[in-house]
Amino acid sequence: MPIVEFDQVSRIYRSGEHELRALDRVSFTLDEGKFVVILGPSGAGKSTLLNLLGGLDSPSEGKITVAGRDISTLNDNELADYRAATVGFVFQFYNLIPTLTVYENVSLVSEIAPRALDAREMIAKVGLEDHMHNFPAELSGGEQQRLSIARALAKNPKILLCDEPTGALDSETGVMVLKLLLGMAKEAGKTVVIVTHNQNISKMADTVIRVKNGKIRSVEEQANPLSANEVDW
Amino acid sequence: MLLRKLLRTAWSYKAQFISMILMITLGVGVFLGFNMEWRTIEVDTAKFFEETNYADFRLYDKEGFTADDLAAVLAVGGVDAATRFLSVNLDVKGENKRALALDVSENFTVSTFTVTEGSAYDENGEGFWLSDKYAAANGISVGDPLTVVFQGTEVTGPVVGLCKAGEHMICVADANQVMPDYRTFGFVYMSTKKLSETVRGKLVLSAAEELKQAGVPEEMLDEAVDGMLTDETLREAQRSVFVQIHVRSGLGKAELEDAVKDALGRAVMVTSKDEHVVYKEAMGEAKEGKAMGSILPVLFLAIAVLTMVTTMHRIAAKEKIQIGTLKALGFKNRRILTHYSSYGLFIGIVGTALGAALGVYVCKLVMSEDGMMGTYFDMPDWSAAAPGFCLPVMIGVVVLLTAISFFSVREQLKGTAADALRPYVPKRMKRTVWERVRGWDRLPFGTKWNLRDLSRHKSRSAMTLIGIVGCMVLLVGGLGMRDTMAGFLDLLDHDISRFTTKITLAEGCGREEAEAFAASLGGDWESMTGISFGGDTVVLDIVHNPNGFYNVIDEENRPITLEDDGVYLCLRLKDRAKIGETVSFSPYGTDETYRAKVIGYNRSVMTESITVTDALADRLGIDYTLTAIYTDETSDEIPPSPLVAGKQDQAQLMETFTSFVAIMDGMVLILVIAAVVLGIVVLYNLGVMSYVERSRELATLKVLGFRSRKIGSLLISQNVWLTVLGVAIGLPAGVGVLEWLLAALAGEYEMKLMLGPLTYGVSVLLTFGVSLFVGLAVAKKNKKIDMVEALKIADS
Repeated sequence: MPIVEFDQVSRIYRSGEHELRALDRVSFTLDEGKFVVILGPSGAGKSTLLNLLGGLDSPSEGKITVAGRDISTLNDNELADYRAATVGFVFQFYNLIPTLTVYENVSLVSEIAPRALDAREMIAKVGLEDHMHNFPAELSGGEQQRLSIARALAKNPKILLCDEPTGALDSETGVMVLKLLLGMAKEAGKTVVIVTHNQNISKMADTVIRVKNGKIRSVEEQANPLSANEVDW
Repeated sequence: MLLRKLLRTAWSYKAQFISMILMITLGVGVFLGFNMEWRTIEVDTAKFFEETNYADFRLYDKEGFTADDLAAVLAVGGVDAATRFLSVNLDVKGENKRALALDVSENFTVSTFTVTEGSAYDENGEGFWLSDKYAAANGISVGDPLTVVFQGTEVTGPVVGLCKAGEHMICVADANQVMPDYRTFGFVYMSTKKLSETVRGKLVLSAAEELKQAGVPEEMLDEAVDGMLTDETLREAQRSVFVQIHVRSGLGKAELEDAVKDALGRAVMVTSKDEHVVYKEAMGEAKEGKAMGSILPVLFLAIAVLTMVTTMHRIAAKEKIQIGTLKALGFKNRRILTHYSSYGLFIGIVGTALGAALGVYVCKLVMSEDGMMGTYFDMPDWSAAAPGFCLPVMIGVVVLLTAISFFSVREQLKGTAADALRPYVPKRMKRTVWERVRGWDRLPFGTKWNLRDLSRHKSRSAMTLIGIVGCMVLLVGGLGMRDTMAGFLDLLDHDISRFTTKITLAEGCGREEAEAFAASLGGDWESMTGISFGGDTVVLDIVHNPNGFYNVIDEENRPITLEDDGVYLCLRLKDRAKIGETVSFSPYGTDETYRAKVIGYNRSVMTESITVTDALADRLGIDYTLTAIYTDETSDEIPPSPLVAGKQDQAQLMETFTSFVAIMDGMVLILVIAAVVLGIVVLYNLGVMSYVERSRELATLKVLGFRSRKIGSLLISQNVWLTVLGVAIGLPAGVGVLEWLLAALAGEYEMKLMLGPLTYGVSVLLTFGVSLFVGLAVAKKNKKIDMVEALKIADS
């Protein structure tokens, strides 16, 4: 049973007479609990795809169904509720609130997420229990990214969306973060979608979607994906 | 190329640039406008005083001055010019509610006038030179006949010219009238020859009457009268009407007083121009303007400059990468500094130029013939003059703004090109003092977020607070001034004045006659004379008020039943003596000194005065004549009498305050508009800055699933907190500023601070309104936040 279904989805940006098709009639499905990597060069449309799936943007054409709900026609407030309940985000540059401590950054989501999990538990899960009262600026890059994962998980989302989650990290920290994400898919049953241009990360994926010029070039299921430690950086 | 960059950068920071230019415009405009107002009063009135040979000193002798007296005064070293002068208030024939001050300057060298229409002054002229404003208000033109009643004698002649005179630049009947009302009171000059003929005519009539009563036949009357009227009789009669000599001299008052005493062989009352109602009021107005021009505009300017510091620092921080790029490209620091300093220079020049235009406009709004002061001052030329310090202040503002840009950018240029290329990193978040408070952990996230944001961006928060406090101070100050003025007028209208008509008595009228006249009208009366009290000129107010038509009131505005065993000091003289102490005072023009015990204090709103009962004045042996009667009779019911120099009914008197209130309303309106604009500009600028700085955090919240409304309420709640704090500080600060202003005005009027609940309500609501309006305008932007774009940028 697919949790995500893209059906002939296009995202068109118009500027005067010019028209840019960032995504052009894209169709694919994703199954629950899978570790998915969307791969493509810069400008291929992979971030647009992630933004549409995350409810940050709406398609110009086509239909997106997530957990049985059509999200392509939702208004601003409905999209906010969708983001609060269904998806969690992990960004390349972490996007933490600098004026809130580690604990507060995570517990923040309890204000909006209907099925929020215990913040302390999530922080412990990513190994930051000793930094509970630190501000993000007092953490290393890897710690900040783990914190952003904890925040995403605290919402107890069905899908975890990660935009270049290791892009700003060194290889050792990157592996640690990928392990964590992989665990979310394998152990917690979350669908984890990673957008990256790093080919090596795709070797860990159950499903690899290759995007180029706004179109899906291939959707590849991998029977034996590598573990994070096996990935060559 | 860099100029193009400057313009494009200005465009990309348009909200900040526009608000900075607006702030500087407003700051410079209000500063310049308010200071130009008082300076223009000084310059224009001084010019007019010079043109009309306004007297530096006035000598008074109730017995009058002879031609020999004038010659003796003219012979005093240091006296440049002098003239015998007549100035009396008199009735206009057939006009029950109109009165005129009749002036004659014997040799027309001092206290003259300028003609605005008709013939120039002619010492042998047969007609009148009438106040042009009085003529306009009453539909009188050159050539129209005019009849006035001078000491019971009708004087008729054509109006040969319309004029303005320094002596009547503020044309009020007496010190109790605040604003001119040309429908009811004006002034008129006539020639020396016409005065002589009038005096002679009066003598002829009185001699004829005397002769008739003595039984001289009608046909012999003319001859008999001619025999009676010798040159000496005429000279004596003229002496009795010329009770003043006006002097132009650079001498000091005491110096002139001594010299005149020596020259005349007797002591006469000498008053300097500072004590004359016109000069005193004009200078009082300038002083009031100076007071208004000091604190409020400085507050405006300070807020404008402080906002610039915060904003320029933020812009420079945001431009850091571009600054670094220019450095990396090979641009020298000096060139980059010059380029970015030109931002401040550009804002300074544009803002100051617009501010100068606004300042002139504000000045003209007040000081022009059609402006707020147009009714108050009657003078021909209205210019716009600025005090000498304004230009250096304006140049200083431009230099300061340029320096702010310079130092903000220099901060970003420190180190190598690579350092400059690194994005600006705001201060690291540290634990705030709030976090030591018990219960911090239980606070909702929004509260913690806002408290930390306030602590992290202290200068921005402080500037927002100062903006709100400034807005509140201006509102409380402006509206409170109006309340105070309304209370002041209410006091005059209801607590002090209980009469229907006030009769101004002719100068030199006999006391017994006047008292009898007052008794026939069932009225109260008073006598006001100038006295020297501890070296200052104050008024001795001798009051006879058994009917309660004219009340003397205490500090709580309750009527005082005056006792005969001592004097009452007005509140402005309260510091001079305690109750039970003895004070001494000397009426001008006499060598007498009187001593009496202080038995109370009273509110004397218009004059600084010592009040006594007529019974005490008699017991002390003070020689005085009545100056005014207060009666319940309407002006129509008052019989004609040579004692009457003018009549004003209370309603008519209070009507003169309408223009005064209109001026006050105008000033209040300027302040309220300025306060609201100040509030909006400062808060919007800082709000947008805060929004831009937090846009990444706001986008993150949005991505996490926070609804726009919830994020908006977070932004607004910070504004609301600062507004609550700003109101709490601004309210007492506003009252303090108002008290300071009232203290500065104390020389002119004695006003008691009054603030109605409406003022509190309107000030608080307007401040909150401004804050909420700006908060909503900024929060609205949140709906349009581009989550994807905002999140692309690396964390700073």
